[in-house]
Parts: sequence; structure tokens; C-alpha cells
Amino acid sequence: MASRGGDELSSRSGSPDKEGGVSEDRSLLHQRLAVKELMDTEVTYLHVLQLCASDIRSRLQQLPQGDVDILFSNIDDIIKVNGRLLHDLQETASKEEEQVSLIGNLFLEFQEELEQVYKVYCASYEQALQLVEAYRKEPELQQEIQGIIEAVVPQAGSSGLGFLLVTPLQRITKYPLLLQKILENTPPDDSAYPVLQRATSALQDVNANINEYKMRKEVASKYTRVQHLSLRERLARINTHSFSKKTTRLSQLLKQEAGLVPRTEDKEFDDLEERFQWVTLCVTELRSNVAAYLDNLEVFLGCRLHECNLDIPGGPVVQYCNLARDLQLEAFLKFKQRLEGLVWQPLCSLARALVGPRNLIKKRLDKLLDFERVEEKLLEVGSMTYEEEATRHTYQALNSLLVAELPQFNELVMQWLGQILRTFVALQGDLAKQVLQRAEGSMAQLPHHHLSEPAFRKLVEDELGQTSNQLRSFQETFEKVPPPPTTQPLRPESERQGQALLSRYGPGKLYQVTSNISGTGTLELTLLRGQIVALLQNKDTKGNSGRWLVDTGGQRGYVSAGKLQPYRTVPSEEELRGQARPHEDSRRLTPEPTRAPVLSVPTMTQVVAAYPFVARSSHEVSLQAGQPVTVLEAQDKKGNPEWSLVEVNGQRGYVPSGFLARAPSPAPWGWSPPS
Amino acid sequence: MSWIPFKITQPKKQIVPKTVERDFEREYGKLQQLEEQTRRLQKDMKKSADADLAMSKSAVKISLDLLSNPLCEQDQDFLNMVTALDTAMKRMDAFNQEKVNQIQKTVIEPLKKFGSVFPSLNMAVKRREQALQDYRRLQAKVEKYEEKEKTGPVLAKLHQAREELRPVREDFEAKNKQLLDEMPRFYGSRLGYFQPSFESLIRAQVVYYSEMHKIFGDLTQQLDQPGHSDEQREQENEAKLSELRALSIVADD
Repeated sequence: MASRGGDELSSRSGSPDKEGGVSEDRSLLHQRLAVKELMDTEVTYLHVLQLCASDIRSRLQQLPQGDVDILFSNIDDIIKVNGRLLHDLQETASKEEEQVSLIGNLFLEFQEELEQVYKVYCASYEQALQLVEAYRKEPELQQEIQGIIEAVVPQAGSSGLGFLLVTPLQRITKYPLLLQKILENTPPDDSAYPVLQRATSALQDVNANINEYKMRKEVASKYTRVQHLSLRERLARINTHSFSKKTTRLSQLLKQEAGLVPRTEDKEFDDLEERFQWVTLCVTELRSNVAAYLDNLEVFLGCRLHECNLDIPGGPVVQYCNLARDLQLEAFLKFKQRLEGLVWQPLCSLARALVGPRNLIKKRLDKLLDFERVEEKLLEVGSMTYEEEATRHTYQALNSLLVAELPQFNELVMQWLGQILRTFVALQGDLAKQVLQRAEGSMAQLPHHHLSEPAFRKLVEDELGQTSNQLRSFQETFEKVPPPPTTQPLRPESERQGQALLSRYGPGKLYQVTSNISGTGTLELTLLRGQIVALLQNKDTKGNSGRWLVDTGGQRGYVSAGKLQPYRTVPSEEELRGQARPHEDSRRLTPEPTRAPVLSVPTMTQVVAAYPFVARSSHEVSLQAGQPVTVLEAQDKKGNPEWSLVEVNGQRGYVPSGFLARAPSPAPWGWSPPS
Repeated sequence: MSWIPFKITQPKKQIVPKTVERDFEREYGKLQQLEEQTRRLQKDMKKSADADLAMSKSAVKISLDLLSNPLCEQDQDFLNMVTALDTAMKRMDAFNQEKVNQIQKTVIEPLKKFGSVFPSLNMAVKRREQALQDYRRLQAKVEKYEEKEKTGPVLAKLHQAREELRPVREDFEAKNKQLLDEMPRFYGSRLGYFQPSFESLIRAQVVYYSEMHKIFGDLTQQLDQPGHSDEQREQENEAKLSELRALSIVADD
């Protein structure tokens, strides 16, 4: 092209070489001028930036720091980068021949940094502008600001803060234009040409990317915000426009589902979205599971076991109460607090962070459906309205935003999840260590700490077996406290009746009614207190031993056994034999016990006394707890196994069998009180 | 019945000495407290054991749900971590079940058995009270006749009344003595009775937490975990949150 230009010029002026040279010189001149323009404007630009950043900013003290940050954004970073750029540019000035290609290379080098640093500034410029407008509305503040600006940067004039803050935006868009000017005045066969060309398009790319970034940010902030709208605001939102939008989208979606309209397949996005869904699921489930775990932990901590008071002064019971209290008030409490702070809170933050992307994905789909409809319309009609164009842009913005950032998002969430899980494991480990330490301390003071676990378990099993027998004997003892055996005064008929029954059935079968009985069934009798009856059967036809079949002498029928008591016409022989065994007698006279008999101790076995016993007559012998005894007979003279004949300390006598324990287990060793 | 002018049912002389009555009430009182404490302890133990089992189950659910997430198919590291966690949780749950079983057997059951004696005791005390009432009533009756003019019929009635009184008095005294003997013994038996249970309880904790310590120690090593302090962990969490918030797609809340 240059040669053609040269030809043209030469045809006008006449002499070929001279004209070609002149045009070349002219280009070269323009080129040099363009380069100079680049350098000079850079110097001025940087100067203004520095004034803004230091002088003006420091004097705007009446503004809150948050505002100042928004206004000036990352101007310091810009100054750094441009400072270096200027310095390098000025260095190229000495290398005249290669200057242009050096400049080209320089811009290619700085391309990345420029993009990074300017995109941030540009994205926050809108907000800064809003602030400036807000200040303009306050006359006093506005005057002050104006004053400062005029003092520092007189050439800004009355344009104000906005004018100054826009300079970086203007500069970054100027670079491609400046480079273009240099390029235009560079011959294409010049070695610098390709470099310059690349540099120019690079800076154009930078601007495109900055715009893209800005748009994404705007779109994101519009749709991610969790909107806390009042009811009125919500109603206001539902206008015919948005309503029709929604119905249109729905019909589009249905058309897609029905296969009537091809769905815009975007495998890359779908994969991303799928992963996002799984990540969401993971976070949501983990959060609710941890919540359940914490709830159960709460209940567990609410059981104040250490507060029980069995009035036992020492030994394992006290050890346990101390242990339980320490664990609850320290180890477990701390565990819960750490769980809440280091696992639960982060999970909640994670869950909240999911909201933004979720909304965006949904919005993208909405816009996609809109967009598809628009495309359909485009095919039919051949054009689209401005609004429809906007829809396409929004969809594309959302799509590219998500495609750009979702992978990173998913990755970050997974990393964080991993961190949280590891923390969970660590907390459990710490809890185990703490509890174990404390529990081992308690265990060391227990009487049987030296025993292995299986040996101990056997010991406990045996011990509990014996003590449960003991308990049973207590229970039986208490149950054998009989109801009052009063012989009630008889009415004459009753007495005669009694005599008749006595002769017919014998003394053992006579019972007296303790309180009035009113029979309700056909076979049941109504009897008065004091009446005598004879026992025919001590259970009814169904085997119920609470209902007895009795004979009143005149009638037969069923009565409740609880309302009868044995009737003694003459003092029994056993009574006369001595008050030594009231238990025995009472036992014989009460209704047949339905409980199993007490532990029977095998004869001639080595046995110990589990419990102290005080002899009450010459037939009995006293025992001390833990004393070894020799069992001579495991029953008394009447064959009653509740009593055993033993020899102890050279003495012989009867003792309750329930008070004896089997050898060789050293029974309440270590557990009994020293008495 | 204090509004009746003639206190027929109340005898004049104090048939049960104050000291005896006081002793009885003291011993019975102690046993009543013990009953309350053992019942409460049994209930709390059961509640604690249930909560313990529930906690362990929810821990297992954590790892189970993680394992069933499709992410495991895509991400080998994640799968490894979650599998290790799941194994640990399941093992802990098994040990926990064993611990609770041991506690059930050696603490809760014995507590129940101990508590089951009290109804019989309370019934016996009631019967003694009944006997006391009867005793009082008949004693009053005798006194009434003793105060009357000694005519023939009166003497006959007096004799009969005395005859009635005797077995009742003897019965009451027998009951009273029996209970006064047995109650302290029963109360004392708690010492020997509960110590094995509580020793077993402590040991069960040691067994379980040693396992837990071992299992989680191994797991920590497996997951290649640095021993961070709590502050460090908090900082890590903050850092991750900031990184997330730096993304445009994440809303600022």
C-alpha cells in the first residue's frame, strides 16, 4: 500500500524518489508525533492520578472511609502499573530505531496486568458515580469538595470529582486508539508492524474483556441478591409484563420437554450444573445431619447423672459422680462448643453461599427460554426488538459468567467441605483423648482396676447374681408382713356355722372374712365381715389364684382371696413351740406364696455370710458379713428351705438362707463397707 | 376426727413410744429418699443411654449420606476420605452399642431390681400402719370399759375387749419390730449393691473411649491432617469464605 501511496504522490510532484521519500517522511513524522503523544499523555495522566490518590484523597476527611474506598477503588494499583509502564516507555526513547517495536512489545507484556487492574476499577466506577451524585445534592459538602479539587487540580475546573475519577476509564480506552495511530503511520513491511498490530488488537481485547467483566458483575449483583421484599413490593412486581414473561417461559419449557422445540444443548454447562447440584446436596445433607447430631448431644448433656445422691460416702459411686460431672461440665461441653464454631457455623456459611449461584442458574434458564423464543421469532419475522436483544445479551452474560466461575466455586466448596470433615474428625479425636484420660484416672482408683475386662465382667455378673438374690429375699421379707390376724368376734350363727365347718373340713381350711364382700357374678358370694368359710379350692376354673371357691356351710361360691384370712380356732402348735420363728409361721399361714423359693445353698459347701444377721433365739446363730460358715443342712426341721442350719465360730444354729453367699467368689470384697 | 367429743378411737395412753415412732420415721424416710433417687437415676441413665445411641446413629448417617453422593464417583480423593470416615463411624457405632448393652446389663437392670423392692416395702409399712390403727382402736375400747362402773356385763365386755386387743397388739409389735430390723438392713445393702454397677459403668467408658481414641487417631493419620489449633482452623474457615465471596456469582449477605 505504501508504494501505491508513493506512486500517487510521485505522479503529482513529478520526481519519484523524492516524493516517495517525502511521503515516507510524513508517515514517519506522524508516527513520531503519535509516539510523542502517547508518552506525553501518559505523563500527564499519571500525574493527575497521583494528585487524586494522595492530595485529594487525604483531604476528603469528612467522608466515611467506606465511601473513600469506593470512590478511589484500586487507584493505587493503577498508579503502580502505569508508573512502571511509563518508566519502560521512557527507556525506549533512547533506542530510536527500534522504539516502535519495543513499544509494541511493552504493551504486549503489560496486557495482562492492565486488564486485571483496570477491570476492578471500571467495575466499581458506577457505584463511585452514584456517590458523587449523592454528594452533589448536599450543597455544603459539594462546596467543600469543589474547593479541594480547585486547589489541587485547577484544570479540573468546575467539573468536579466525577471528572477526575473517570480518567482511568478514559485512558484505558485511549490506548488502542493511540496504538492504532502509530500503526497507521508505520509501513507494513516494517519489522515493527506485526508487533504493533498484535499490541493494538491486544489492547482492544483488554477493553472488551473489561466491558464483559463489568457486565457480568452488574448482572450478578442484580440476580444474586436475596431479595427481602415487602408484600407491597412483591405485588408491585407482579405486573402483566413479568406475568406474561413467566407464562411464556413455562410454555417454552413445555415445548422443549415435548420435543417440539430443540433445546439448546450446552454439555459443558450441564455438566457444571450437575456437579453444582451434587455439591449442593452434599452441603445440605451434611448440614442437617450435623444439626441432628448436635441435637442429640444436647439431650445427652441434659442428663445430669452426677447429681444423683444415693447417700454413699465413697468408692466407685462417688468416683463415677465426679467423673460424670467433670466430663459433662468440661470435656463434652467444650466438644459441643468447638463443634458449633468450627463445623456448624462454616456449614451454615456454605449453605448461604449456595444461594447466589442457584439463583443465577435459575435466571439463566429463564433467560434461555426467553432467548429461544426470540430466536424462533427471529426466524419467522426476521428482526428483533431492542428488548429482545437485551434478553439475548443477558442470557449470554449469565451463561459466560457461570461457565467462568462455577468450576472455581465447585472446587472451593469441595475443598472447604474436606476441611470441615477433617475438623470433625479431629474434634472427635480430641474428645476421645480427653475423656479417656479422665476415665482412666478414675479407673485407677477402683478396687478391681487390675483385673482384665473379661475377668471383671465375670466378677460383676456373679456379684449381681448374688445381690439380686439378696434383693429378692428382702422383697419376700417385706411381702410377708401379713395383714392383721385379728380374730373377730363372731355372731352366734357364725359360731355355730364355724363349728360345723370345722368338724367337716378341719382347722386348716377355715378362713374368716376381713371385710364385707359383695359378689357381682352368678357364682360369687356376698359375705359379711366376720363370717367363717371353708376353703374348697384356692383357685378358680381359669387357674386364677386370686379367686377361691369356698363353702359357707349353706352356700358355695367364689370370693376374692384378698378378703380372707386364716381363722384360728385354737392356738396352733407351732405358736406354742416358741416365738423363735415368727417368719416361718407367718409364711405358713398366709396364702400359698406364688414366688420362687430363695437360693438353696448346697450342703457341706464352703459358704460365706453375705450379710450380718442377729440371732433372736437359741435356735438361731448370729452372722457377720463376710464370715465363712459351714452349712450343715440347707433346710429346717420341717423341710423349709428358707432357713439353713449352719455352724459358725463353733456355734450351731439357724440362719436365713438368703443371707448366705456361694463360695469361692470373695463376695462383697472391696465393695462392702468395712464394718 | 378431732371434732368428735368422745374420742372413742383414740386411746388415752401413748401406745407407741415417741422414740420408737421417731426411729421408724427416720428409717422409713431415708428409704423413701433412696427410692426417689434410684428411680430418678434409673430414668436419667436410660435417657442418657438413648441419647448416646442416637448420637452414634446420626454420626453414622453423616458418613452414609456422604458416601451415597454422586460426587464420590467423580472425585477419588473425596471418595477415599468419605470411605475412611464411614468405616470409622460404623466401628464406633458397634462399640457404642456394646457399651450401652453393658450399661443396660450392669447398671440399669440392677437399678430396676433394686427399685422393685420398694413397692413391697411400702405395702408392709402400710400394713403396719393398719395394724397400728386397729391397735389404737381396740386400746381405746378397752380403756373405755375400764373407766366404767364395774358391773357384771361391763366386766364381761371388758374381758372380751382385752381378749380382742391382745393378738392385735402382738401383731403390731411383731410388724413394728420386723420393719425396724429390716429397714436399716435394706438401706445398708445399697452400699454393697451399687458399687459393682458403678465400677462397671466407669470401666465401660474406658473401654469405649480407648477404642474411639485409637480409631480416630488412625483416621487422623489417614486423612493427612495437620494438628491445627482452633484459631488456625477459624482462620482457614474465614479464608475459604472470603475466597467464595470474591466470586461474582456469590451474593454478599
